[in-house]
Amino acid sequence: MLFRVDPASTDPLFTQLAGQVRAAVARGELTDGERLPGARELASSLDINLHTVLRAYQELRDEGVIELRRGRGAVVTAPAQDNSELHAAVETLVRVARSLGIAPQTTTALVKEALR
Amino acid sequence: MTPPVPPPAPYRSVSTVLTLVVPLALAAVPLVVARAWEAELPDPVAVHFSADGPDGFSSLAGAVWPAFAIGAVVAVSAWALAFFWGRTAQVRRVAAGSALGLTAFVSAVVVGTLELQRGLTDAADMGGVGLVLALAFAIGIAAAALGAWAVPPDAHQPATDPVPATAALLDLGPGEAATWVTHAESRTALVVGGAVVVLQVALALLLTLPFLLLPAVVVAAIVLSSTWFTVTVDRRGLTVRSALGRPRFVVPLDEVQQAHVVAVSPLTEFGGWGYRVGRGGRVGVVLRTGEALQVERSGGRSFVVTVDDAATGAALLNTLAARTRIG
Repeated sequence: MLFRVDPASTDPLFTQLAGQVRAAVARGELTDGERLPGARELASSLDINLHTVLRAYQELRDEGVIELRRGRGAVVTAPAQDNSELHAAVETLVRVARSLGIAPQTTTALVKEALR
Repeated sequence: MTPPVPPPAPYRSVSTVLTLVVPLALAAVPLVVARAWEAELPDPVAVHFSADGPDGFSSLAGAVWPAFAIGAVVAVSAWALAFFWGRTAQVRRVAAGSALGLTAFVSAVVVGTLELQRGLTDAADMGGVGLVLALAFAIGIAAAALGAWAVPPDAHQPATDPVPATAALLDLGPGEAATWVTHAESRTALVVGGAVVVLQVALALLLTLPFLLLPAVVVAAIVLSSTWFTVTVDRRGLTVRSALGRPRFVVPLDEVQQAHVVAVSPLTEFGGWGYRVGRGGRVGVVLRTGEALQVERSGGRSFVVTVDDAATGAALLNTLAARTRIG
């Protein structure tokens, strides 16, 4: 999977990483039992602090998305689930927002509010 | 637009020595030895052996010349491979290793079996050849390893051309860092290899034959080093690393000219599965038919690895490579 961190974003780096893993699991790109790269490996690969990756992994563990095992690293524990309806809804949302010329920030703000 | 003509393979004189001159000399050793020992050897000599002793006989010339012919064919093929397709060090290593290993092994077998027949009047009286075969095998492996080691590695050749405008890119912010991680694996080989290891361990335990654990360890190491690879694209370039950590293949980012998605057919393009040299000197980790990430590298080299979602990996590699060409 693709990991990316943008220091220019307002979100902290560990939030960006955790969000990408969550999204990859929701898309079915990461499946149950799959192993994430080791924290040390990923940190040096992205040239960021080890603690940033560890913090992202800990957040994901607390949510039950991954399990952290000594010696085995981070393993995805998400049960297989069909989220195709959600993906279709997201696609529709993006299409509608674009056709109405609504800024991405406004759209995500609306979604965040609705989810509250 | 015609594709640019790739540069000739480097280190052609070293390759000629390692794949042609030395292997031909090794292949000629039995010819010299046979001449020197001719008076002491029985006529005919034994050339084929079963568990009970020799079961095939031939004249002395018939014993040594076919072996020389095999060695010569191997040496010439390996030389052609290294000379014309050897742009990547790995190709030259495979060529030097197989030419030296095979000629050393064949010559050791011929000389060893002739040595056992010296002073006999009837070749049928000679003893077993097990020790000779084991020794020849060890000599062959040592020669192959020495040859592969003697091959000069590729010089660092930073790419100078910009990444082509047609290359697929990823929308990456100017300060944004990205890493793409995936796996290349052969499930069939993993399952079959794993079953063999389990069987060997079970036999070793059931029959209380602890020495059977040795082949189990060897098979496990072969399976772990050749059937499951972690593939990473990041600021350092492309890294393909086996589950054991070795072998490990790296294409540094500054040597990347362009990455793209290709469809690979292992049997027709690479002659099989695994870590392979393909037609034209393309090297790669080819574990299944289908989608693969191919990197065009400076010096006319190509590296390919079979992965899913190769498009994302190729786009990231192009994007990161393009960054290194600015300024």
